[in-house]
This record gives sequence, structure tokens and C-alpha cells, in this order.
Amino acid sequence: MSTRFSNKIDVIDNNMKHHHAHDPTTCEDPLIDEVSMLQLGDSFFPTGMYTTSSGLETLFYDKRIKTKQEIIEFITVCLQYQIGPADCAALSNAYDFAKEQNISKIIEIDHILFSMKLIKEIREASIRSGRQLLNCLLSFVPDNNLIASYYTSIKNKTANGTYPVALALASNSLNIKKERACLILLYGFTVSVTGAALRLGMLQHFEGQQVIHELKPIMGNVLNNNITRHYSQLWQFSPSVDLVQMTHERMDSKMFIT
Amino acid sequence: MTFKRIPRVGIGGPVGSGKTMLIEQFVPLLSQIGYRVAIISNDVVSKEDADRMRRNLASERGLMPESLVIGLATGGCPHTAVREDPSMNLSVVEDIESAHNEELDLIIIESGGDNITTTFSPALADYFIYIIDVSGGDKYPRKRGLGIENCDLLVINKIDLAPYVGADLKAMERDAKLIRKDKPFVFVNCKTGKGIKEVADNIVKNVLFELPPKKNEKKTEKMT
Repeated sequence: MSTRFSNKIDVIDNNMKHHHAHDPTTCEDPLIDEVSMLQLGDSFFPTGMYTTSSGLETLFYDKRIKTKQEIIEFITVCLQYQIGPADCAALSNAYDFAKEQNISKIIEIDHILFSMKLIKEIREASIRSGRQLLNCLLSFVPDNNLIASYYTSIKNKTANGTYPVALALASNSLNIKKERACLILLYGFTVSVTGAALRLGMLQHFEGQQVIHELKPIMGNVLNNNITRHYSQLWQFSPSVDLVQMTHERMDSKMFIT
Repeated sequence: MTFKRIPRVGIGGPVGSGKTMLIEQFVPLLSQIGYRVAIISNDVVSKEDADRMRRNLASERGLMPESLVIGLATGGCPHTAVREDPSMNLSVVEDIESAHNEELDLIIIESGGDNITTTFSPALADYFIYIIDVSGGDKYPRKRGLGIENCDLLVINKIDLAPYVGADLKAMERDAKLIRKDKPFVFVNCKTGKGIKEVADNIVKNVLFELPPKKNEKKTEKMT
């Protein structure tokens, strides 16, 4: 632990002694922002993403994917043709509008992204994760007007609560930089599919980490290619993956939500 | 817009212990009183349990709408889905609460079959029933485990099999009393319905607080 950080903890302890309560989000310490990034990016954070395989389960049962390299290629296609130009770009735009406190534009992006998610189970999983992310966040960041306003719109059914948009607002509220918020999204997706491969028995535990390591440059490229994409230019095009995910959605016996 | 929380019962237990059949047995007793229930069934590898309950309780017996039996895949992590990260379950519960707040009395959440450490997050379930069966061995209560020790009601199923598997019910009773102290347990046979009324009575008393049903229309089973 760095001296600076341990000093900060001393300061927090002192603040708590003197003020009885302390909100770390009001501290201007980049280290706290970094810890917040780790918190939202951790699979321990309760968003239910471990329940999805993005269609990998179908490819596994059909024996169309067998090797570690094929798993890497599947995740790469999803990142480059689905998550990057749609979810990541939507997050980036929503983050910018969160900085401007522009709730109507945030909701507009939420609707655009929702309409682009062709697979019902993926659409529903995204809004369930988004809503639960906000729900949890509001338990420790209760006074953020923008999040409260977006959450009210979800409750009133005028917004959907897509996960990337929710993550944009959550990241903004915790002073997590936009680039890092996008990385949380890309990393979280990668880990959810890799975790599914592990639980399906397609990988052993070291191989799972090798997959994540090999995908780091892809995550970087996807981030760079999409972080400046305007919300009018969101797209996703991966018909083969769409078909696999639709097939998975209709499977009678399965471990994962698509 | 916020909705009043509908009481929730979580049901956990090992694979094959009788979770689904327990629900199929006590829901008709609650329906006879007039209570309306929804069921969320978490499953490890399929939606077979949800499909069975939908067919049995909704389609064939007309005790509830088919749409109120919901199957949920858990990514192979049933204990995570009800304890560490109940997000997906909570989201479904919220959808049910927003759509059926006026008439629904109870939400039942069935965990996927899991080991004896399963417990429910208090954020998800108000009352936790853990079910084991004698064919797993009469050592089960003695072995403790969070589920057996901490649940609000321990149900011991398949008592008719005890003589065939060498399970000593008296030993199970003694150990259950020792481990659970004052907390209740009940011996049942889900095949015959023996002991099920006691389970239903526990739910009415400790979860529904003996309040009358929200919509006082007693559900009668369809004639088949």
C-alpha cells in the first residue's frame, strides 16, 4: 500500500471520527477513483453477468468451438462487431452527456442501444444488469441527481436501463475516467464469456487467464476504434453470431441465459 | 414509482431432494385459502422444473397464470444466483411486483439444486426453507451446513424411504433439534402429501402473518 494511500486512509479515519460519516466519492484522490474502477469492474460486483455466455454454450454443444484459439476468435468477433461499435460507443456518448447532466440525450442513447439488441434474452439481460448496477450504486451513492433521474425514468418505463448507459452514469458518479469505464465494459464482457467457457469445461483455469491476456490488445483496439463514435453512428453487425445466439435462446436445456 | 414488497419464500436444497415437488404440494393448499402466488425457478442446466410446475399448477390445475411460473438459467452457479449476486432474481421479482402488486400475495423462489452451504440473500427472500431427503443419509442434519443450520424451516423429505436406505429418523430428529435449537423442522413425504400442511401453515403464519388474501377469491382446481 502506498504511503499516499495509507495517509489518505488516515485522513478518512479522522474525517469519520469528526464527521461521523464520510463520502469517499467527494475525495479528490485519483487513487480512490482507481479503486472505484476496480470495484465496478470486479465480477464480485452484483450485476448477474455470470449468467450469460453470449451464445458460446450453443457452439460448445454443437462442437463448433473446441479450442482456446477458437474461443479467443469468438470473443474477438463479439467485441469488434457487437460490443465495441454498439455498447462501448453508447457508453462513451452517455458518459459525455452525463458530464453535461443531459438526461434526455442519455435516454435517447439508451433507446437506440436497446433497439439494436436483436436477441430478446440479451436485451433483457442488459437491462437487468443495468438496473441492478444502478440499484446497488444508489445504496452507496445516494445523492446523485442524474442517476436518480435516470432510475426514475426506468421505473416510469420511459427509459430501459441498458447496462452500458447505466455503467456510464455510475462511472461518472465515481469519477472513473471515460476510457476506463469503456475498459470495464469490454473486460467485463470478456470475463463473462471466458468464465462461461471455464464452467462448460472448455478451458482450465490457467487457460482462462491466458485468453484474457491475449485479448488485451483487442480490447485496446476496440476501445480506440469506438470511443469517439457519435451516437448517430452506432452499429452492430454479426449475423452468424446473432443466429447462434437465437439458437441458444431456444435451447430447452442450458446453463446460461443467452 | 415504488411498489410494496410482496413477501418472498426461498427454497433451497440438494439436487433431487424434492424442492419442486414441495412447491407443487403446498401451493394448492395456499390457493385453497385464496392466496395468489408466483414462482421463480432457478435451474442449473434446464428450465425443466419451471416447465413442470407451469404445466402442473397453471395449465392443468388452473391455480395460477402460466406467466407467473418463470424459469431462470443461473450460469451453472445456483448458489451465486440466490446469495452472492441475486441481481437476476431481484430483477425478475421487481418485474413481478410492478405488474402484480395489487393481487399477488407471495413469491416463491426455488434455488437450483446445490450443496448444503446454500443460503438465500435476505435481500431476495424473507423466509428460507431448506429441504433434504433421507436417502442422502441420516447424517445430513448432523453435518450442519449453512442451509440446514440457518434456514427458517428445515424440511426432511422422503421419510417413506427411511427403512430402505437405512436412515434412522429418530437420529435425524435428535440431530435436527440439537443443531437448530428452537428453529422448526418437519418430516414430510411429498409423494403422499404427509407433513405438507405443516409447511403451508408455517408460511401462512410466519410469512403471510395470517393476513387475508389481497383478492379474496378462492382458486378452485380445474376439473381434469
